[in-house]
Amino acid sequence: MKSTLVSRNVLLCAVAFFIASCGTATFTKSGSDATIESLRSFHLAFIDEFAVPGKKFNATAFNAKVNEGNAKFQEAIANDKFTARRPVFVDLKAQFDADAAHIKSKASRGKITPALASEMKKDINKTYDHALGR
Amino acid sequence: MPSGGKKKHKKPSRRKSELDSALDQIDDESLAATTEEFQDLLREAKGDTSELIRQNAEEVERRLILLKKRKIDKEDFDYFVENQKRDLRVFVDGQPAQSQERAEKLTLQVLEIAAKVAIALMI
Repeated sequence: MKSTLVSRNVLLCAVAFFIASCGTATFTKSGSDATIESLRSFHLAFIDEFAVPGKKFNATAFNAKVNEGNAKFQEAIANDKFTARRPVFVDLKAQFDADAAHIKSKASRGKITPALASEMKKDINKTYDHALGR
Repeated sequence: MPSGGKKKHKKPSRRKSELDSALDQIDDESLAATTEEFQDLLREAKGDTSELIRQNAEEVERRLILLKKRKIDKEDFDYFVENQKRDLRVFVDGQPAQSQERAEKLTLQVLEIAAKVAIALMI
Protein backbone atom coordinates (compact mmCIF):
# COMPACT_ATOMS: atom_id res chain seq x y z
CA MET A 1 0.00 0.00 0.00
CA LYS A 2 2.79 2.38 1.03
CA SER A 3 4.81 1.55 -2.08
CA THR A 4 1.76 2.21 -4.29
CA LEU A 5 1.39 5.63 -2.66
CA VAL A 6 5.06 6.44 -3.26
CA SER A 7 4.80 5.32 -6.88
CA ARG A 8 1.73 7.45 -7.38
CA ASN A 9 3.48 10.51 -5.91
CA VAL A 10 6.52 9.93 -8.11
CA LEU A 11 4.26 9.67 -11.15
CA LEU A 12 2.38 12.84 -10.20
CA CYS A 13 5.68 14.68 -9.73
CA ALA A 14 6.89 13.51 -13.15
CA VAL A 15 3.65 14.63 -14.81
CA ALA A 16 3.80 18.01 -13.03
CA PHE A 17 7.42 18.45 -14.06
CA PHE A 18 6.59 17.60 -17.69
CA ILE A 19 3.67 20.05 -17.78
CA ALA A 20 5.79 22.78 -16.20
CA SER A 21 8.61 22.23 -18.69
CA CYS A 22 6.16 22.36 -21.61
CA GLY A 23 4.89 25.67 -20.30
CA THR A 24 8.43 27.00 -19.98
CA ALA A 25 9.30 25.87 -23.52
CA THR A 26 6.20 27.61 -24.91
CA PHE A 27 6.99 30.75 -22.96
CA THR A 28 10.63 30.64 -24.14
CA LYS A 29 9.61 30.20 -27.78
CA SER A 30 7.10 33.05 -27.69
CA GLY A 31 9.78 35.30 -26.19
CA SER A 32 12.14 34.22 -28.97
CA ASP A 33 9.45 34.90 -31.60
CA ALA A 34 9.03 38.40 -30.20
CA THR A 35 12.80 38.97 -30.48
CA ILE A 36 12.69 37.88 -34.14
CA GLU A 37 9.78 40.24 -34.86
CA SER A 38 11.63 43.08 -33.19
CA LEU A 39 14.74 42.37 -35.32
CA ARG A 40 12.55 42.24 -38.44
CA SER A 41 11.11 45.69 -37.68
CA PHE A 42 14.58 47.10 -37.13
CA HIS A 43 15.91 45.47 -40.32
CA LEU A 44 13.02 46.78 -42.48
CA ALA A 45 13.34 50.27 -41.00
CA PHE A 46 17.05 50.16 -41.83
CA ILE A 47 16.23 49.44 -45.49
CA ASP A 48 13.58 52.18 -45.52
CA GLU A 49 16.09 54.68 -44.17
CA PHE A 50 19.11 53.90 -46.35
CA ALA A 51 17.97 52.07 -49.49
CA VAL A 52 16.27 55.12 -50.94
CA PRO A 53 16.78 55.95 -54.63
CA GLY A 54 18.32 59.39 -55.09
CA LYS A 55 18.99 59.96 -51.38
CA LYS A 56 22.47 61.27 -50.51
CA PHE A 57 24.44 58.67 -48.54
CA ASN A 58 25.13 59.78 -44.97
CA ALA A 59 28.06 57.62 -43.80
CA THR A 60 27.89 58.80 -40.17
CA ALA A 61 24.19 58.02 -39.79
CA PHE A 62 24.65 54.74 -41.67
CA ASN A 63 27.54 53.55 -39.47
CA ALA A 64 25.67 54.51 -36.30
CA LYS A 65 22.64 52.46 -37.42
CA VAL A 66 24.81 49.50 -38.41
CA ASN A 67 26.46 49.58 -34.97
CA GLU A 68 23.03 49.70 -33.35
CA GLY A 69 21.96 46.72 -35.45
CA ASN A 70 25.09 44.75 -34.63
CA ALA A 71 24.45 45.28 -30.93
CA LYS A 72 20.84 44.13 -31.27
CA PHE A 73 21.73 40.97 -33.19
CA GLN A 74 24.64 40.12 -30.85
CA GLU A 75 22.36 40.54 -27.86
CA ALA A 76 19.76 38.25 -29.43
CA ILE A 77 22.41 35.61 -30.20
CA ALA A 78 23.84 35.76 -26.68
CA ASN A 79 20.65 36.08 -24.64
CA ASP A 80 17.86 34.21 -26.41
CA LYS A 81 16.54 31.54 -24.06
CA PHE A 82 15.39 29.28 -26.90
CA THR A 83 18.86 27.91 -27.56
CA ALA A 84 17.77 25.72 -30.51
CA ARG A 85 17.19 28.99 -32.35
CA ARG A 86 20.72 30.28 -31.91
CA PRO A 87 21.91 29.22 -35.41
CA VAL A 88 18.91 31.06 -36.88
CA PHE A 89 19.90 34.27 -35.09
CA VAL A 90 23.43 33.86 -36.42
CA ASP A 91 21.96 33.48 -39.94
CA LEU A 92 19.83 36.61 -39.49
CA LYS A 93 22.88 38.56 -38.39
CA ALA A 94 24.70 37.36 -41.54
CA GLN A 95 21.76 38.64 -43.62
CA PHE A 96 21.88 42.01 -41.88
CA ASP A 97 25.65 42.24 -42.49
CA ALA A 98 25.20 41.40 -46.18
CA ASP A 99 22.38 43.93 -46.59
CA ALA A 100 24.39 46.65 -44.89
CA ALA A 101 27.42 45.94 -47.11
CA HIS A 102 25.33 45.96 -50.29
CA ILE A 103 23.49 49.17 -49.38
CA LYS A 104 26.75 50.89 -48.49
CA SER A 105 28.31 49.86 -51.78
CA LYS A 106 25.33 50.95 -53.88
CA ALA A 107 24.16 54.04 -51.96
CA SER A 108 27.63 55.55 -51.79
CA ARG A 109 27.65 55.46 -55.64
CA GLY A 110 24.04 56.63 -55.96
CA LYS A 111 22.99 53.29 -57.49
CA ILE A 112 19.99 52.34 -55.39
CA THR A 113 16.96 51.62 -57.59
CA PRO A 114 13.30 51.22 -56.55
CA ALA A 115 13.44 47.58 -57.67
CA LEU A 116 16.50 46.91 -55.49
CA ALA A 117 14.86 48.38 -52.38
CA SER A 118 11.61 46.56 -53.02
CA GLU A 119 13.28 43.18 -53.64
CA MET A 120 15.46 43.60 -50.54
CA LYS A 121 12.39 44.05 -48.37
CA LYS A 122 10.73 41.00 -49.91
CA ASP A 123 13.82 38.94 -49.07
CA ILE A 124 13.91 40.22 -45.51
CA ASN A 125 10.27 39.37 -44.87
CA LYS A 126 10.71 35.91 -46.37
CA THR A 127 13.82 35.19 -44.32
CA TYR A 128 12.20 36.28 -41.05
CA ASP A 129 9.12 34.18 -41.86
CA HIS A 130 11.41 31.19 -42.32
CA ALA A 131 13.18 32.04 -39.06
CA LEU A 132 9.80 31.81 -37.36
CA GLY A 133 9.12 28.45 -39.02
CA ARG A 134 6.35 29.83 -41.26
CA MET B 1 4.75 25.55 -44.38
CA PRO B 2 7.05 24.41 -47.12
CA SER B 3 7.49 20.65 -47.33
CA GLY B 4 10.63 19.29 -48.89
CA GLY B 5 10.95 15.62 -49.69
CA LYS B 6 7.61 15.34 -51.48
CA LYS B 7 7.42 14.43 -55.13
CA LYS B 8 6.17 16.97 -57.61
CA HIS B 9 2.55 16.57 -58.64
CA LYS B 10 1.72 19.67 -60.65
CA LYS B 11 2.37 19.67 -64.37
CA PRO B 12 4.44 22.78 -65.03
CA SER B 13 3.09 25.16 -67.65
CA ARG B 14 4.60 24.83 -71.12
CA ARG B 15 3.39 28.30 -72.09
CA LYS B 16 6.27 30.65 -72.91
CA SER B 17 7.02 33.03 -70.08
CA GLU B 18 8.55 36.49 -70.38
CA LEU B 19 11.84 34.97 -69.25
CA ASP B 20 11.63 32.15 -71.82
CA SER B 21 11.26 34.75 -74.58
CA ALA B 22 14.29 36.65 -73.26
CA LEU B 23 16.33 33.46 -72.99
CA ASP B 24 15.40 32.50 -76.56
CA GLN B 25 17.14 35.65 -77.73
CA ILE B 26 20.52 34.56 -76.36
CA ASP B 27 22.74 34.13 -79.42
CA ASP B 28 25.72 32.51 -77.74
CA GLU B 29 25.79 28.90 -79.10
CA SER B 30 28.10 27.76 -76.31
CA LEU B 31 25.35 28.63 -73.78
CA ALA B 32 22.52 26.85 -75.60
CA ALA B 33 22.75 23.68 -73.49
CA THR B 34 23.05 25.65 -70.24
CA THR B 35 20.06 27.81 -71.11
CA GLU B 36 17.96 24.79 -72.00
CA GLU B 37 18.97 23.01 -68.79
CA PHE B 38 18.11 26.13 -66.82
CA GLN B 39 14.66 26.44 -68.43
CA ASP B 40 13.90 22.77 -67.68
CA LEU B 41 15.11 23.10 -64.10
CA LEU B 42 13.13 26.28 -63.55
CA ARG B 43 9.96 24.68 -64.95
CA GLU B 44 10.48 21.68 -62.68
CA ALA B 45 11.05 23.91 -59.63
CA LYS B 46 8.02 26.11 -60.40
CA GLY B 47 5.80 23.04 -60.56
CA ASP B 48 7.10 21.49 -57.34
CA THR B 49 4.85 20.84 -54.34
CA SER B 50 7.35 22.47 -51.99
CA GLU B 51 6.47 26.11 -51.46
CA LEU B 52 10.12 26.92 -50.78
CA ILE B 53 11.26 25.50 -54.12
CA ARG B 54 8.47 27.25 -56.03
CA GLN B 55 9.08 30.53 -54.25
CA ASN B 56 12.82 30.44 -54.97
CA ALA B 57 12.28 29.61 -58.64
CA GLU B 58 9.80 32.47 -59.01
CA GLU B 59 12.23 34.87 -57.36
CA VAL B 60 15.08 33.88 -59.67
CA GLU B 61 12.80 34.32 -62.67
CA ARG B 62 11.50 37.70 -61.49
CA ARG B 63 15.02 38.97 -60.85
CA LEU B 64 16.35 37.77 -64.19
CA ILE B 65 13.57 39.77 -65.82
CA LEU B 66 14.46 42.82 -63.68
CA LEU B 67 18.07 42.36 -64.78
CA LYS B 68 17.07 42.11 -68.42
CA LYS B 69 15.03 45.32 -68.04
CA ARG B 70 18.00 47.02 -66.32
CA LYS B 71 15.94 47.68 -63.17
CA ILE B 72 18.66 45.97 -61.16
CA ASP B 73 22.28 45.41 -62.20
CA LYS B 74 24.48 42.31 -62.12
CA GLU B 75 25.84 43.21 -58.67
CA ASP B 76 22.28 43.31 -57.34
CA PHE B 77 21.42 40.04 -59.07
CA ASP B 78 24.46 38.27 -57.58
CA TYR B 79 23.62 39.69 -54.17
CA PHE B 80 20.04 38.36 -54.45
CA VAL B 81 21.34 34.91 -55.42
CA GLU B 82 23.50 34.94 -52.28
CA ASN B 83 20.48 36.16 -50.28
CA GLN B 84 18.51 33.13 -51.46
CA LYS B 85 21.32 30.85 -50.31
CA ARG B 86 21.38 32.60 -46.93
CA ASP B 87 17.60 32.27 -46.67
CA LEU B 88 17.92 28.58 -47.42
CA ARG B 89 20.34 28.34 -44.48
CA VAL B 90 17.76 30.03 -42.21
CA PHE B 91 15.09 27.65 -43.46
CA VAL B 92 17.24 24.57 -42.91
CA ASP B 93 18.43 25.76 -39.49
CA GLY B 94 14.83 26.29 -38.44
CA GLN B 95 13.51 22.91 -39.61
CA PRO B 96 14.26 19.21 -39.15
CA ALA B 97 17.12 18.87 -41.63
CA GLN B 98 16.32 15.52 -43.22
CA SER B 99 12.97 16.68 -44.63
CA GLN B 100 14.54 19.70 -46.29
CA GLU B 101 17.32 18.01 -48.21
CA ARG B 102 15.48 17.98 -51.53
CA ALA B 103 14.41 21.64 -51.24
CA GLU B 104 17.98 22.66 -50.51
CA LYS B 105 19.47 20.61 -53.36
CA LEU B 106 17.07 21.72 -56.09
CA THR B 107 17.15 25.37 -55.05
CA LEU B 108 20.95 25.46 -55.02
CA GLN B 109 21.01 23.84 -58.47
CA VAL B 110 18.68 26.54 -59.85
CA LEU B 111 20.72 29.33 -58.26
CA GLU B 112 24.07 28.06 -59.52
CA ILE B 113 22.91 27.79 -63.11
CA ALA B 114 20.99 31.12 -62.93
CA ALA B 115 24.25 32.95 -62.36
CA LYS B 116 25.62 31.60 -65.67
CA VAL B 117 22.45 32.49 -67.57
CA ALA B 118 22.36 36.02 -66.09
CA ILE B 119 25.59 36.98 -67.83
CA ALA B 120 24.27 35.90 -71.22
CA LEU B 121 20.99 37.74 -70.66
CA MET B 122 22.81 41.04 -70.24
CA ILE B 123 24.49 40.86 -73.64
